[in-house]
Amino acid sequence: MDEVATKIIDILKKHMKEPKDDIELSTPLTDLSIESLDLAMIVFDIEDTFGIEIPYNANEEVEDFKTVGSVVERVKALVDAGDAAGAANA
Amino acid sequence: MTKANGLRRVVVTGLGAVTPIGLDANETWSAMKAGKCGVGRIENFDLEDLYIHIAGEVKGFDPATHVSSRKVQYGDRYSWFAGRAAEEAWTHAGLPTPYDEPYRAACIIGSGAGGHSTIETAYRDLFIKKKKATNPLTLLRIIGSSASAHVGIEYGIKGPTFGTCSACSTATHAIGVVYDYIRNGLVDVGVAGASEAVLTYGSMRTWQAMRVLSPEGCFPFSKKRNGTVLAEGAGILILEDLEHAQKRGATILAELVGYGMSSDSKDMVNPDVEGPRSAMQMALDDAGLEPSKVNYLNAHGTATALNDVNETNAIKMVFGDHAKDLAISSTKSMTGHLLGAGGGVEAITCIKATQEGWIPPTIGLDEPDPKCDLDYVPNVGRDADVKYTMSNSFAFGGLNAVLVFGLPPA
Repeated sequence: MDEVATKIIDILKKHMKEPKDDIELSTPLTDLSIESLDLAMIVFDIEDTFGIEIPYNANEEVEDFKTVGSVVERVKALVDAGDAAGAANA
Repeated sequence: MTKANGLRRVVVTGLGAVTPIGLDANETWSAMKAGKCGVGRIENFDLEDLYIHIAGEVKGFDPATHVSSRKVQYGDRYSWFAGRAAEEAWTHAGLPTPYDEPYRAACIIGSGAGGHSTIETAYRDLFIKKKKATNPLTLLRIIGSSASAHVGIEYGIKGPTFGTCSACSTATHAIGVVYDYIRNGLVDVGVAGASEAVLTYGSMRTWQAMRVLSPEGCFPFSKKRNGTVLAEGAGILILEDLEHAQKRGATILAELVGYGMSSDSKDMVNPDVEGPRSAMQMALDDAGLEPSKVNYLNAHGTATALNDVNETNAIKMVFGDHAKDLAISSTKSMTGHLLGAGGGVEAITCIKATQEGWIPPTIGLDEPDPKCDLDYVPNVGRDADVKYTMSNSFAFGGLNAVLVFGLPPA
């Protein structure tokens, strides 16, 4: 796993009540017993860590938040785009 | 004149409102009749880097014009709204100024957040502009009791005076508190409601960070709903002991017949069905009313993914077979979410619906969420014989408050 993935998994673990060590890129976020406010905290932490803005609305189911891997891909894309205003046109 | 339980009966004798669709109660009600939406692109402050660009702003409000008291003009925007709405309600009730039995009157006007724009201005002055001092009125403008204190001063009220604070249930709790004071004989008259003015850049950023705001609009119970929309304003009632109102020949607008309150005691954001259910049930029990007697329910209906389904489920639990026949609407579809003040405006809406025999719609409801399968009076209001109404307020933290209104006593 690369650096971005490792950092994201560390952030996920930080916000889990009982952090698991077997988190893979294919792990669905729903398996991590993360509640809506936790997810907002996680997104905030990721944004802060990578200096990006992620368009995320707790009222919607978003493809980008299906698995750990999809979050990693989305973050990489935002970092690559250097898109500090990623949420501006959400 | 008391109920079977020995408590005095409480009636409503004055209404006052400031909302994104009207600068008084009548204008707000007329706008509801026209299905007007008060949500639009933010104009009152600079959006900077916000990605949520919409809100229900009160437009065209000038304290120099709309607030008669010079002292209130010196207050925060939330006190302006409270001052304006209270003046409307007090005048409507025809009560003397200053009040002639000052210790027999209460003034409970809450706010979810108090003087938010004042906080923001002060922080910008201190932290960005590096000014040497804040405006000397900063503290008095910020405190969440300033609206109640201001209004109490205006009308010479010397009885219980303070603000309630329970996020989106604030106004409903304030009305419940005054209801209890009057029926237990502590006071005869009370100003009750809440005011909110949190449409500022910093406040919007805090809401944006919670990821619960819609970038498009407030569409309660709709399949397309994707969050709530913040709004501002005030909703205030004058409550009065029935006998007291009759003696002075006041026009009685409605009777407040039931009040229920509960806390989920579970989670700050995820609502539980049991809390809202129990609060609605308590309000009905307090009113001594069968669920089937309620003709109209003004829902909390915030247009978040969680609230609208949870509220629908709670309504079904309380109303059983009557749930499908009950006319329910969320007037937040028109006003946006006035947060602490919402319950005040929605109580007024319930009273107006009873007076005029007309149920306001939930606008923007083209396609309902399949999980929201009750009658939400979609898009167009309707004439109906409305005798009893219920107003729901549910707040972050799981704080629930419910009112039941009935016709003026014959």
